Amino acid sequence: MAASKSQGSNFTLFLIGATVLCGGIAYAAGATGKLLLLLGAGMLLVSAVGFARIKHLEGETPVLPSPEVMKWVGAGVTLLGWVVTIGGLRMVSGNGGRIFFALLGIGVSSFGILYVLPATFNKTAFWKKPAGSSARIGYGSLPGKSATEPHFTPGMGSVR
Amino acid sequence: MPRNHLVVLCLLTASAVASGMAWAQAAPAPAVPPAAAAPAQPAAPVPPATAELREAAAKAPTPADLAKGDPGGILTGTLTDLAPADAKAGPTLADAGNQIGQNKVAINFVWTLVCGFLVMFMQAGFAMVESGLCRVKNANHTYMMNFFVYGCGLLAYWLIGFAIQMGGAAGNANLGGLYPLNAEFSISALGKTWGLFGQTGHFLAGTSYDVGVMVIFLFQMVFMDTALTIVTGACAERWKFVTFSVTSVIMGALTYPLFANWAWGGGWLSQLGTNLGLGKGYADFAGSGVVHSVGGLTALAVCLIVGPRIGKFNRDGSGNPILGHDMSAVLIGCFILAFGWFGFNPGSTLGASANGNLRIGTIAVTTMLAGCTGTFGAICYMWITKGKPDASMSGNGLLAGLVAITAPSGFVSAPSAAIIGLVAGVLVCVSVSFIENVLKVDDPVGAISVHGANGLWGVLSVGLFADGTSNYGGSWNGVTGSVTGLFYGDASQLAAQLVGISTLLGVVFTLSFAINMVLEYVIGHRVSAETELNGLDIPEMGQLGYPEFVFRPEPVLAKAA
Repeated sequence: MAASKSQGSNFTLFLIGATVLCGGIAYAAGATGKLLLLLGAGMLLVSAVGFARIKHLEGETPVLPSPEVMKWVGAGVTLLGWVVTIGGLRMVSGNGGRIFFALLGIGVSSFGILYVLPATFNKTAFWKKPAGSSARIGYGSLPGKSATEPHFTPGMGSVR
Repeated sequence: MPRNHLVVLCLLTASAVASGMAWAQAAPAPAVPPAAAAPAQPAAPVPPATAELREAAAKAPTPADLAKGDPGGILTGTLTDLAPADAKAGPTLADAGNQIGQNKVAINFVWTLVCGFLVMFMQAGFAMVESGLCRVKNANHTYMMNFFVYGCGLLAYWLIGFAIQMGGAAGNANLGGLYPLNAEFSISALGKTWGLFGQTGHFLAGTSYDVGVMVIFLFQMVFMDTALTIVTGACAERWKFVTFSVTSVIMGALTYPLFANWAWGGGWLSQLGTNLGLGKGYADFAGSGVVHSVGGLTALAVCLIVGPRIGKFNRDGSGNPILGHDMSAVLIGCFILAFGWFGFNPGSTLGASANGNLRIGTIAVTTMLAGCTGTFGAICYMWITKGKPDASMSGNGLLAGLVAITAPSGFVSAPSAAIIGLVAGVLVCVSVSFIENVLKVDDPVGAISVHGANGLWGVLSVGLFADGTSNYGGSWNGVTGSVTGLFYGDASQLAAQLVGISTLLGVVFTLSFAINMVLEYVIGHRVSAETELNGLDIPEMGQLGYPEFVFRPEPVLAKAA
């Protein structure tokens, strides 16, 4: 589908809804503010429904479905790392202990970001599939690049 | 400024004017003593300093003197330019003091605004770097994302982002106090109060209609937009324009301002020092964490969701180089960014007068040094490992050094800055390789490595290299003293920095990921395979960036057709 009039209409409604909602937040103490909050939220909801209704018109993307639950598990593990760090602030009072818990938390978050999530998204990566097994795959390789000297692979593309 | 300092300053100014300059003509006495206007009452004693001021004013050049011209510049800018509260009574010590105070704030306003204008110009640099590293068939789309992100971010920030970030940031002496920004939503935990988000400044209306608030809004807004534009490069060549637009608005309204409040707006990270004794609290002078890590980690979150470009990876997982279309744009863009960084880092003093702000020269030098050594680090690494001083990675090395020095620039010495930049230059090369070859994440411009990885390195380096010599008004984040890192004897500052890094990874990444997953369900991030193969310029933007170019057909395109 690419960009379309429907997209433009829904995006404009999203902007207006966001503006009205923020007006409601700014004046939430008064009745007018509460009314604006409801009105803005309603407009955002309508724009979201509008976006969802035209989503299927986009056409087939190369991305294949991957395990949804594991994506949220990965996000949860990442958040858990921060909880560990904050817990450390409460549990210990010395600098060494706090640094230890902060590093532990960073390690847990990094595990979520650098292992769980990439593994989940790459589990069904389209570039892994053999050509012909789906209409969406077969876009794996891009051979024939000859704009570089042989045996030299430039940085922003492939550094190995 | 203490009152006695003010009096001394006024006296010095007055005596310099009175005794140090010889006027061509003595001006007629302009003022009538107040006692003469009320002869029935006993004459009020005139303070000696005020009498001296009036004497100096009497000797100041007249309009007739000035009409003759002042080629040497010695007659322009004297006591006659001081606006007294009572013109008849003449200048008083209070008038002189008020003028000094206003001059200080004016200098800081101008400094902060001009630096903000420089940062705004960085958008042009980002546009050139990102578009140059993309293929010509996507040039218009990539340029348009960089163009429109400015509007999306600005609108969102004006609506609510600024209020969330700075709504409780009152107390900045450089900019007149910013007293209208006086409401921070806080919670109690561990027996202390912790700020979570600001609550004033929506729409810059009401009490926020204030000269100082406008200055800080402009400066913080361009910082926020820098964070937003980092994502556009990482997700280029396959990102739906409408989804990019919506997520940019949300990031400018929520994700960025929230962390910026915690670090800069009086939020809980800045209170780690006062509440828990962790150094001077989380210290991020100009935003390695607040701006660059937030942008880089959001870019990683969206890149995971949107997936790699068609043709990037082979079936065995090996990567293919997808070359950009204009290396000249990339390198010129890098220079523009380096130029803009002189607004980014030195401007983050939020002033050039008082409160230790004379360190602006040091900050500018540490900034340029780190950029220099970052370039050397990347060039040498690539030359040794790949055999060529790769151009694109050289540019990224420059940017990596600049990103890394952004947080510590106000706290470190020149040699430390050189080390920080050098590490960043090597780190960006290693990180690009890791993200592509291990994570299998496609980042066409290396934004995740440049801004994400090196932003985190910059935050960490504050906790290591801060030398304790800076003095911005005698305290930082409300803790007396100077920010001092582990290598200079304060391990607690390192702990505060690590808590900041953990928050960036655990909260900012997760929040960005969750928001963009919802957008994936509702709108969808990725363009269709057909659109991607044909190039996004026509389907998404309606016209080619370079209509007179002849495209070289890609083998995969013929296959798809």
